[in-house]
Amino acid sequence: MKAAVLLIGLLCLIISCSKDRNFDERELHLISPEKIAGFDPIQASDMYSGNEIGKVYEGLFEFHPLKRPYELMPNLADALPSVSADGLTYTIKLKQGVLFHDSPAFKEGKGRELKADDVIYSIKRLADPKLQAKGWWLLDDKIIGLNEWREKNVAAPATTYDEEIEGLKKIDALTVAFKLKKPYPQFLYALAMPYAFIVPKEAVEHFGKEFLNHPVGTGPFILPVFQQSNRIVYTKNPTFREKLYPSEGEEGDDKRGLLADAGKKIPLVDKIIVDIIVESQPKWLSFQKARADLLEIPKDNFDSAVLGGKELAPELKSKGIRLFANAQLDVTFFAFNHDDPLFKNKKLRQAMSMAWDRGEANKLFYNSAAVEAQSVIPPGLGGYRKEFRNPFIKYDLDMAKKLLAEAGYPNGKGLPAITIQTRNETVSRQIIEHFAKNLEKIGITIKVGMNTWPELVNKVTKRQHQMYTMAWGADYPDAENFLGLLYCPNASPGSNGSNYCNQDFDTLFKTATLLQDGPERSAFYEKLNETVAVDSPWIFGFHRTKFYLSQAWLKNFKFMEFNHSQFQYLNVDLEVKKELSKKF
Amino acid sequence: MTKYIIRRLLYMIPVLLGVSLIIFILFKLVSGDPTAVLLGKNATAKQMADLREQLGLNKSLWLQYLDVVKSAFTFDFGYSWSTKQEISKMILQGAYPSLCLSVPAFVISTVLSLLISLVVAYYRGKGIDLFIRVFCIAGMSISALAYILFFQWFFAFKLGWFEISGFEAEFPFVISYIALPAIIWIVLSIGPDVRFFRTVILDEIYQDYVRTARAKGLPEVTILLRHVLRNALIPIITYVVIQIPSLILGALLLENFFSIPGLGGMTLNALNSSDFPVMKAMAILSSVGYIIFGLLSDILYTLADPRIKFN
Repeated sequence: MKAAVLLIGLLCLIISCSKDRNFDERELHLISPEKIAGFDPIQASDMYSGNEIGKVYEGLFEFHPLKRPYELMPNLADALPSVSADGLTYTIKLKQGVLFHDSPAFKEGKGRELKADDVIYSIKRLADPKLQAKGWWLLDDKIIGLNEWREKNVAAPATTYDEEIEGLKKIDALTVAFKLKKPYPQFLYALAMPYAFIVPKEAVEHFGKEFLNHPVGTGPFILPVFQQSNRIVYTKNPTFREKLYPSEGEEGDDKRGLLADAGKKIPLVDKIIVDIIVESQPKWLSFQKARADLLEIPKDNFDSAVLGGKELAPELKSKGIRLFANAQLDVTFFAFNHDDPLFKNKKLRQAMSMAWDRGEANKLFYNSAAVEAQSVIPPGLGGYRKEFRNPFIKYDLDMAKKLLAEAGYPNGKGLPAITIQTRNETVSRQIIEHFAKNLEKIGITIKVGMNTWPELVNKVTKRQHQMYTMAWGADYPDAENFLGLLYCPNASPGSNGSNYCNQDFDTLFKTATLLQDGPERSAFYEKLNETVAVDSPWIFGFHRTKFYLSQAWLKNFKFMEFNHSQFQYLNVDLEVKKELSKKF
Repeated sequence: MTKYIIRRLLYMIPVLLGVSLIIFILFKLVSGDPTAVLLGKNATAKQMADLREQLGLNKSLWLQYLDVVKSAFTFDFGYSWSTKQEISKMILQGAYPSLCLSVPAFVISTVLSLLISLVVAYYRGKGIDLFIRVFCIAGMSISALAYILFFQWFFAFKLGWFEISGFEAEFPFVISYIALPAIIWIVLSIGPDVRFFRTVILDEIYQDYVRTARAKGLPEVTILLRHVLRNALIPIITYVVIQIPSLILGALLLENFFSIPGLGGMTLNALNSSDFPVMKAMAILSSVGYIIFGLLSDILYTLADPRIKFN
């Protein structure tokens, strides 16, 4: 009896220790599936770090939260830049009165105004060889004098930031000019990426090695100290400038209620609470308990959330939860290592491609929601032609057998077993097993090589693989970012892990990358995309779809591939939240 | 005894040298070149070469090994390659959540298992003994993952008694986050603990001195608590104390599922990102932990059994 009373008492104590929900403040509850290393923009190589950094830091430009196709708009810049006739000089004027967050790094702890010097300093930081920024590739060999400055500082005991660089000029206190070595049409995209977000020199110097834990930006939210924890809490930046919610978007956005906050000062929420939850079940349960306002549906819970792959489950619908399905700018693939003489045989590559039943794979692994990749460019980017059909991705065993025989391996005779390297994840393994089962039908034996992420990267960069499987997500909305994966000069250890080299492709690619966005460049991209499709340097997989659930009280959510600045536009309807929370 | 302790502490030197060597060889064999992972998907060959130089990976193997040895003896682990955070700070930040979970769970599970074992030993061969044995084996046969998934779904989600996941350092809120994973830890530990403790206690129960005590008319409870338990303590101490260093390392699965920012997750992240300094720090700290707690269990032997003398 005593034990039972004690147990009940303990239970009551535990339950009473839970915090009550806050309905007085507009709190946005988000989930991040990965830990954040720190808040240094130049190291923000993954989407999740970028999302956190984007809450406190800002770039000169950002993607419009509503317009599609993605469109850049000025952020810290006052307007889009003026570009010289030769496309080599970009002059950018900064907004007046933009303040950095208050921080002990500044005199009297008050954030000072953003200046052109800060832009130059931040770009130099990205190039600083001592810091080994993960984003250096964006500006490598692009700005006049920047590589030379970097080289000079490699062996120097400390980097000298005071030295002037020809391609990075301060015109006046609020104007900066970039001089490029050659046309770089993706330059503005580069400036919109978290790597190029603006940091103040004082904070970097004041906090030293601890800078990554003391973010001091100009962004809409503040986080005085970052601790390696599973929860990050941001509060509204009280000195944030007058930035308004956009009053125009894509067609239909008005009807979807996405313009209801047009003209309102952002950020629209008082606080953002980000919980880092790695595993699927706690993510799913937290969302169902209304502990999160937005959730990318975990694969394991897809069937219970979305019926028949389309309809939201009635139980979720009754709580006002909404479903969003969005095509991603990505591509999955099995890459051949073209260094291997075996894969110089085009017919073998094509035969393998045609023996894979992508329809079944789509059903098994992507809930039939993915788009079969005809080539490398995903839908939504210039260079993707909806009508184009790659004849070698069609599932046709007879044709595959015929091609295999023509390749010199009738029924797979004489062909050694092929090993595909992958990351040791269940789904990756299952996809290869499905592929292997399919290829067995034409007499090809596939083996799976499981690796930790470092092992896989090492094998690919050192060309110690026969084949490997991976997915590539867009860094910016330009097909160059995908086509570059097959460009010979990018071969391992670069991003062309298949070491594919095709002189015609390379010549065409080089020309295309110098062109500004427009029909001419799109035509080049189309040609590249379709040429490479037939050559089958990879076995093309899918362009995947992301499924999100949002609570009824979350306003203004629209899927964004490049969403580091999206959170300032989101809103929470407290009345709806109070009312609907009773149902959870 | 002091001499013995000093001697044992001196043994740490060759052990740490050996551990450093093993960590170093394993890292060199398994991880290969970490720069590709550290610099991300767009790294250039030049950048990788520069980073190798900066990280000291171009130094001779002998010098690189000496760096590991230096860390092992100075406990200066430097900065993480992947997060750029100071490792000692990372360890301190991760140790608190790990210990918040592991210490109470470990203490409760050990005491509870010992009590159950005594009861089982007391009723050996009877229904209750059989029931608890079957219960323990059944409990051990179910995977830890199944317990975690079910308990989290049922107690946290369905009944709402606990938080689903997360961690709050502040007291008393920490309780609602830690209670459920601690309960799962206890449930998972009881099976193997009870089986081990029961075997050890039963080994003692059939000894001559127990028969003598019974012949003298001592009550069974007194025999169990005063004589049997005391003599069974040596293997129990070894079993319990040697588990203590692993408490600091945290419980990887529980930390992952309950989003507890402990050292288990930190070590796993380091493995996945070729973060050698963090792996090195964790390996060195755990080997030091094992040496110290091994020594502690030796000292405890003398308290449990005064016949044991240090020579």
